[in-house]
Amino acid sequence: MLPIILLSVFGIVLLFLGFLKTRAVLLPAALLFILIALGAGFLEWNKSYLYFGDMLLINNLAILFSTIVLISAFMVVALSGDFLEDEMAQPAEYYAILLFSIVGAMMMIGYENLIMLFVGVEILSVSMYILTGSDKRNLRSNEAALKYFLMGSFATGFMLFGMALLYGAVGSFTLTDIKSYILLSHGRPSLLLYMGELLVLIGMLFKVSAAPFHFWTPDVYEGAPTLFTAFMSTVVKTAGFAALLQLLSVSFSAIYGFWWVILAAITALTLLAGNLTAVYQNSFKRMMAYSSISHAGYLLIGLAALGQQSRSALVFYSLAYSLATISAFGILLLVAKQHTTDGRPDESYSAFNGLSRNNPLLAFVLAVSMLSLAGIPLTAGFWGKFMLFSAAVDRGMVWILILAVLMSAVGIYYYFRVVIAMYFREGQAGRIRVAPFYQFILIAATALTIILGIVPGLFQNIM
Amino acid sequence: MQPTQAPIQIPEVIQLIDLKYYLIISTALFVIGIIGVLTRRNAIIIFMSIELMLNSVNLLLIAFSSYRSDPTGQVFVFFIMAVAAAEVAVGLAIIVMIYRNTRSIDVGLLNKLKW
Amino acid sequence: MNTTYLPSDYLPIFIQLVLALGFIVGSMIVSHNIGPKRHSEKKDDPFECGIPVKGDARTPISIKYFLIAILFVLFDVEVIFLYPWAVNFKGLGMEGFIEMILFMGLLLAGFYYILRKGVLKWE
Repeated sequence: MLPIILLSVFGIVLLFLGFLKTRAVLLPAALLFILIALGAGFLEWNKSYLYFGDMLLINNLAILFSTIVLISAFMVVALSGDFLEDEMAQPAEYYAILLFSIVGAMMMIGYENLIMLFVGVEILSVSMYILTGSDKRNLRSNEAALKYFLMGSFATGFMLFGMALLYGAVGSFTLTDIKSYILLSHGRPSLLLYMGELLVLIGMLFKVSAAPFHFWTPDVYEGAPTLFTAFMSTVVKTAGFAALLQLLSVSFSAIYGFWWVILAAITALTLLAGNLTAVYQNSFKRMMAYSSISHAGYLLIGLAALGQQSRSALVFYSLAYSLATISAFGILLLVAKQHTTDGRPDESYSAFNGLSRNNPLLAFVLAVSMLSLAGIPLTAGFWGKFMLFSAAVDRGMVWILILAVLMSAVGIYYYFRVVIAMYFREGQAGRIRVAPFYQFILIAATALTIILGIVPGLFQNIM
Repeated sequence: MQPTQAPIQIPEVIQLIDLKYYLIISTALFVIGIIGVLTRRNAIIIFMSIELMLNSVNLLLIAFSSYRSDPTGQVFVFFIMAVAAAEVAVGLAIIVMIYRNTRSIDVGLLNKLKW
Repeated sequence: MNTTYLPSDYLPIFIQLVLALGFIVGSMIVSHNIGPKRHSEKKDDPFECGIPVKGDARTPISIKYFLIAILFVLFDVEVIFLYPWAVNFKGLGMEGFIEMILFMGLLLAGFYYILRKGVLKWE
C-alpha cells in the first residue's frame, strides 16, 4: 500500500519537474522513484494486511507480482534515453503516466474488491491508450491508439456488466463474499453468477490478449512506439494474469468444474492462434506481438490447471517472460534506428542481418532472450515452461500439455529466424553506439535470465 | 430472484415492478450498445455505443442496489461515472488527433496496420 | 411519515409534466398560426444587415474550445464524490474531512498543472 501512495505522489512530482529547464533530471528521478517504491514494497514482506476499507490485500504473492511489474517498468524507463533528445517528446508526461499506470497494475494485483479491480484496470488501460498514441504525427501510432481505445473500452463494458451480474447474485463486490455465497448455495448458485463470471473473464482475457479476443494485439503492438510496446506486453500481461489468478483462486475455486473447460479451450485456441500466425510474419515487431499472444496461452495453462503449483509457476514465468521481452525490444530499438526505409525505422528480420559481426554483445543479448522465449534449457524460460507444464500434469491435462509442447516446437522456428539472421547472414550493420547505462541494463537482464535458468531453486526459496 | 431482506428505507412502490424487468431493460440497452459498436463505422458513434453499454451497467447496478438496500452498488456507479469521464477525455483526444491528421473519423479508412 | 406510495400519489408530478410540455407545444403552435407572415427576399436572408453570408455553419472550431470543454467534463464529474460526502458529513467526521481535503488538493495540483501548461491562456 505504501508503494501505491508513493508512486501516485511521485507521478505528480514528475509532472511538475517537467517545468524545469533541464530535461536531464527526469530520467534519474523516475528511476529513483521506482527504486524507492520497490524498496517500500518489501517493508510489508511476510505480513498480510487489508487496506483501504478491506479493498486491497497485500501479501507475499502480491508483493512478488508487484516486484516483477516494478522491475519491468525500471528497465523500460532505463531504456528510454531517446526521449530526452527528441524535441517533440514530452518525457515528464510519459514518465508520470508510466508511474500512474504502475499504480493501476498494483491495484489489479492486490485487489480484494471488484471495485478496486475495475479502477485498477482502468488506470492501467487509460494510461496505455495515451502512451500508444504518444507519437502524435505518426498515423500508425494514431490508428493503434484508436483501435486499442475502442476495443479496450468495449472489453471494459463486458467486464462491468459481469461485475453487475455478480453483484446481483451475491450482493457484495468482495471476493471472499462471492466465495462464501458459492459455498452456501449448496452447489446451485444463481444463474446470474455464472453469467457474471463468464463476462468478467471475457473482459479480463481481452486485456491479456487471449484468443479469440486477441485480434487487436498485433496492430496495437506494431503501431505503438517500441518502448511502450515493451511496457504493454510485460506490465499489462503480468498484472492481468495476477488479477485473473486472484479472481479464480479466491472466488471461483469452488466451481472449478464449470470454468476449467472454457479456460482450457481458450488456452488451446490461444496457443494455436499465437504460434501459427507468428510463423508467417516478416516484421520482428509484429512477430513479438504474436509471440506475446502465445505466451498468454502458456500462462493460461497455469490458470486452467489451477493448483498448488500454479502460483509460483505463474510468478516465475511472468518474470522470465518480462526479462526476455524487454531486452529483445531494447535491441530492436537500437537496430531499427540504424536502418530506415521511407523514413521509418526498419523492424523486419532483415534489419538484424550480420549483427553479430560488429556488435557481438547485442547479438548475444538478443540470442539469449530468444532462447528464453523459446524455452531452451539453461534459460529462465525453460524452467517457467517446465513449472507450468508440471502443473498441467498434476491436473491430468495431458492433451493440453501435448499441444503446448508441439507449439513450443513451432516457436523455436520463428525465434531462431532472428538468431540465424544475426549469426549466419551477411549484412552491412555498422558498429552501434550504446550508452553505458543502456548496456548495463541489457547485460543485467541477460545475466538474470541465465542465472534463473541454471539455478531456478534460487527463486523458489523466496516463494 | 427475490430480495433477500425486506427493504425498509426504499419505498415499496419500486418493488411493484419486478427486478427481472430491470434486468431485461439493462440487457437490452447493453445489446443495443454491442450492436452499435459492431456495425457503425463512425468512431464517435462507436464511442457513444460504448457509453450506452456503460450506462446500462449503471442502471442494472442501481436496480440491484435498491432491491437489496445495499449502498455499495450505488458507490460503484459513482466510480464508473468518474472513470468514464476520464475515458471520454482520452478517447475524444485520440479522435481529434486522428481527425487533424486524416480529416476523417471513419474507422474503415484506418488501414495502415493490416488486421 | 408515509412510507408506502401508490402510483396515484405521483399524479401531481404527472400533471406538472403535462402542463409544462403543453405550454411549450401550445404556445409554439399558437404563435406559429396567428402571427402575421410576410415574405420578401431581404426578409428571408439569415442576416438583414452586415456582411454577406458565406460558407457553412458547420466549420471546424478552434481546438481551444475542445480542450476547455474536456477539462470542464473532467473537473465537473469529480463533484459526484462530493455529494455522498456532504450527505454523510457528520458521520464521517474529521477523518472524512481530511480525506476530502486531500482529494481536493490532488485536483488543485492538476488544476495548477493545467495553468502552468498554459491551456487556459486565451489568445
